[in-house]
Amino acid sequence: MNAISSQEKNPKAAVFSSEEEKILHSWTKAYPHPIMGLLEAMRQVQTWHLCVRPEDEEYLADLFKTTRAHVHQVATFFPFFTQKKTGRKRIGLCHGLSCAMAGSDKMAELLEKKLRVKEFETTPDGEFSWEEMECLGACEHAPALIVNEELKGKATENLINEIAA
Amino acid sequence: MSARKETMTKILTKHFDEPNLHELETYQKFGGYEGLKKALGLKPAEVTAEVKKSNLRGLGGAGFSTGMKWETVPPKDKLPGPRYVVANADESEPGCFKDRVLITKSPHSILEGILIAAYAIGAEDGFIFIRGEYAVQHKILSEAIAEAERANLIGKDILGSGFSCRISLMRGAGAYICGLDTALLETMEGKKAWPRQPPPFPTVRGLMNQPTVVNNVETLAMLPHILKDGSEAFAKIGVAKTGGTGVFSISGDVENPGIYEFPMGTPLRKMIEAAGGMKGGRALKCVIPGGASTPPLTASEIDVPMDFESLRGLGTFLGAGGVMVLDETRNMLETAHNIERFLAHESCGQCTPCREGSEWTTRILERIMSGEGVKDDIPNLQRVGENITGKVICALGDTVGMVVRGFMKKFPEDFSAKIPVKNGNQ
Repeated sequence: MNAISSQEKNPKAAVFSSEEEKILHSWTKAYPHPIMGLLEAMRQVQTWHLCVRPEDEEYLADLFKTTRAHVHQVATFFPFFTQKKTGRKRIGLCHGLSCAMAGSDKMAELLEKKLRVKEFETTPDGEFSWEEMECLGACEHAPALIVNEELKGKATENLINEIAA
Repeated sequence: MSARKETMTKILTKHFDEPNLHELETYQKFGGYEGLKKALGLKPAEVTAEVKKSNLRGLGGAGFSTGMKWETVPPKDKLPGPRYVVANADESEPGCFKDRVLITKSPHSILEGILIAAYAIGAEDGFIFIRGEYAVQHKILSEAIAEAERANLIGKDILGSGFSCRISLMRGAGAYICGLDTALLETMEGKKAWPRQPPPFPTVRGLMNQPTVVNNVETLAMLPHILKDGSEAFAKIGVAKTGGTGVFSISGDVENPGIYEFPMGTPLRKMIEAAGGMKGGRALKCVIPGGASTPPLTASEIDVPMDFESLRGLGTFLGAGGVMVLDETRNMLETAHNIERFLAHESCGQCTPCREGSEWTTRILERIMSGEGVKDDIPNLQRVGENITGKVICALGDTVGMVVRGFMKKFPEDFSAKIPVKNGNQ
């Protein structure tokens, strides 16, 4: 038992810079209750590290005064949070009904061919990863494509070539 | 003449051609924040009464009377502590994109709506929960909030009325289920998005266990107009039980997919025509009227007036007005599979019938699609569906059973045709 508690008390080896810590801390003050900032803080971590690592989860658990199990539940429930690094440019292709009808399958094939990685995998230089996503709320631009949560519009061969250039 | 009538019956999208409508100055030029000023001159209960009289109903899909929802917030002497208003901008229903356009074009109408709702229920904190994939819209809203704060429309003692209200933004992280009010509240509390089993409803025990009104952004955006022009004018536009207009997202096999605003009760046929009619002049086969989780209609049913009651009469729902149009070249087995696959992916896993049933349904549909279907597959799909709907906490699970049965009922030949004779098909 002593061993466990001393392990817990180990100073966290610089998981975040002091600048980053300040930003994460600010999310504990953003809403009427500190815990309400957890998702936004985790989102911040995901964008910095391109994933949420075990040491990040531990840090967030400490920061939000909750358990590691709770933080892990949240990190593994929401598709935006990943346990494996995404590309710096995370490409999302919608395959909801309107987008599937507009040929999202073909665009997925093109992405795989162009980036030479399978869905959810990252290119060796760390630049790109791609995945099919559920409805992106852009059915009038079917098949819709986003990069890092920003809507780029209707996926075409040209758009894919442009993004992957 | 018809063009004139159309502009008259537009409420939310009336000035969408104005390039700077997202800015406070332009918004105010067209009467923006006049509704709030009117509300602040009334007693909170009078605001609620006005909204109730307008027959405004929840445009996020549930269709519940907005005024009646607000009335269920308990008085402060019975249940003390803060009240909250949450704008649901987690639009994730396949086929729906009107909230995205509304936020992009007119963010202040949503802020004004939140303030009116907050004043009516005695809240001093408003939130907008927006899906993370709306990064552009998140920025637009945060700029609009800053602008409104500078003009003393948000913050302390708004326009000298003594009423104070903050508005903050929070982003989701890619889960469809967050669009459901109780799952959204769980997420806001920093938890995974498992829906709660009501009662108590959020208006009694919502965010952090305090009374909370969760309204869709389109519903909220209607409020300034109801207050400014009066509830009677609003009620008159729609049908008997539903006031005003709805902003419909039309997509799929039409010439001009996009958002279109119509008075409640406008026939579906007219909506398809407004979106440029069928793409390439092909024949219509099926319309999904309210977003992927609403059962389908056939081509012979499109004279239905688009309002909550009329669609219920045809065994489907108005939902959030996500009209998806499918032409004669589309296969309904594949369509049902696309939706069931989506629901299986988005099932939160809390209730066993939905978690398992959505997967089974998807896999049976895949087997039929691969040409390996057996005769029992169709009654099995029926049986699995019946054992999910009504036996789960939230509407997602109900949908799993309803969608596949809806498609099998309306388009049985697309299912049976794929089951080979060697496997027992006649």
